[in-house]
Amino acid sequence: MTETNLTVAVIDPSRARAAILEEGLRAAGVGRVVVIPDTADLLERVTALRPDVVVIHLESPSRDILEQMSGVSRQVERPVAMFVDRSDTTMMQAAVDAGISAYVVDGLRAERIKSILDIAILRFNAFARLQRELSEARGELADRKLIERAKGILMNLKGLSEEEAYKQLRRKAMNEKRKIADIARAIVTTADLLG
Amino acid sequence: MRLQLGYVPLCDAAPLIAAHELGFARSEGLELDLTAEPSWATLRDRLALGHLDGAHMLAPLALASRLALSGPPSDLVVPLQLSVNGNAITLSRGLWAAMDPASEEPTDVARAFARAAEERARAGRPLTLGTVHPFSCHSYQLRLFAEAGGLDPATFRTVVVPPQYSVETLARGLVDGFCAGAPWNDVAVAAGHGRIAVQGGALAPDAPEKVLAVSERLGDGILPLVRAVARAGRWCADPENRSELIHRIARRGYLDLDTALLGRTFAGDPAAAAEAGLLLRFGASVEEPRLRDAEWLLAQMRSSQQIRSGALEGSAAMVYRPDLYRAAAADL
Repeated sequence: MTETNLTVAVIDPSRARAAILEEGLRAAGVGRVVVIPDTADLLERVTALRPDVVVIHLESPSRDILEQMSGVSRQVERPVAMFVDRSDTTMMQAAVDAGISAYVVDGLRAERIKSILDIAILRFNAFARLQRELSEARGELADRKLIERAKGILMNLKGLSEEEAYKQLRRKAMNEKRKIADIARAIVTTADLLG
Repeated sequence: MRLQLGYVPLCDAAPLIAAHELGFARSEGLELDLTAEPSWATLRDRLALGHLDGAHMLAPLALASRLALSGPPSDLVVPLQLSVNGNAITLSRGLWAAMDPASEEPTDVARAFARAAEERARAGRPLTLGTVHPFSCHSYQLRLFAEAGGLDPATFRTVVVPPQYSVETLARGLVDGFCAGAPWNDVAVAAGHGRIAVQGGALAPDAPEKVLAVSERLGDGILPLVRAVARAGRWCADPENRSELIHRIARRGYLDLDTALLGRTFAGDPAAAAEAGLLLRFGASVEEPRLRDAEWLLAQMRSSQQIRSGALEGSAAMVYRPDLYRAAAADL
């Protein structure tokens, strides 16, 4: 795709996600990509930029601002419309699932906006996957710290070796069909309360 | 049955929150998952695409969604009205001082506003006022406010301002005023940036404000949901429950606002205000989704040039379903 004469505005409360989409659209050859901050003066900025397409994340409270730039209110010189291809509900579902909504200027052909939406869907889904992996990794790290503390408490309290302390935690978890981290959390909480 | 319901964090979402919090849904065998939606557009889309089973919705937007005027194709119906009134027009302190109305009566205020708006338009700096969505009573109330003062609504600019930005846009002078629902007018006044010029109810008494919009796909689930939310609405309307209501909706996760601030919205003598058709009201007297209210909304859309004159005659009955309300209310 080489859309060198298109201007695309990206609005997203998450700056990191906006940057990822910006990079993706540039790499695909979109002429001008501008990230507009999700702030109170958004309307002025969008009006000044005169974009052909606005890609906005569904989490943004500013979506309603773009709604008013539609043909309904005739106060705007370049009316935009929410991109709804009524013949392609799969596409729309995929976009909404990925958290995307797009507004386009009147008269822009559907094929041209679709390739932009495809990139946005891919990038946003990849971002969501990364975030999920990151939060899982953070969770694992937190669990490991918790288990270390619980082991330390058991070692102090019962004079156990580190290995014995871990075995006790694991046995308790197996007997109660819970995760080791849950048992560790209970021990740490109790120790905090009593200590 | 488990249902996904959306709402926008505003005082008039109270019946949905109460239906969940106080067990009205559970008594009907329903589990509600409530989600706060970041914008009306997103709420509309998620309902149309089946992510939500039902939602707290601007009455005109519900009509616009089903009648293919706004957003993706949808199959929503309106079996219950949640609230009437609750909006107000707040103007910046500077504008109010320039207007200097003869009294605080709505007609005097509207005339003073008209004079100030014409003056600013002549000076090449037309006033800018905020609304919440093109398809909202807020937009229509701004127009009615202009007309009450004999002003052509085209004299000022109307822009959409998400309620959570309303105070900031007013403080920074990006708008000269806005029409918003509770609690945002009180928030602007408390922050010292504005003053309430007129209540929405003074421009259109008991105008249909929020409705319960549900997907037709819900089928047999509609009636129990209507019963649960209607009972919750009656609970919200009872002055005895007011302080509990305020505490429940103020919480983080719902409106996340100061209870004292919310107290103002529900302050005053509810009986006197109800008689005047002025203030936010829930409960039995507003529950039925009346076709004449839907017709009134379509007429407002025509006056605002959102639809052509004569368009969509008789289409209100496709969306507003008093028959479903009556079937549910028979068991209340």
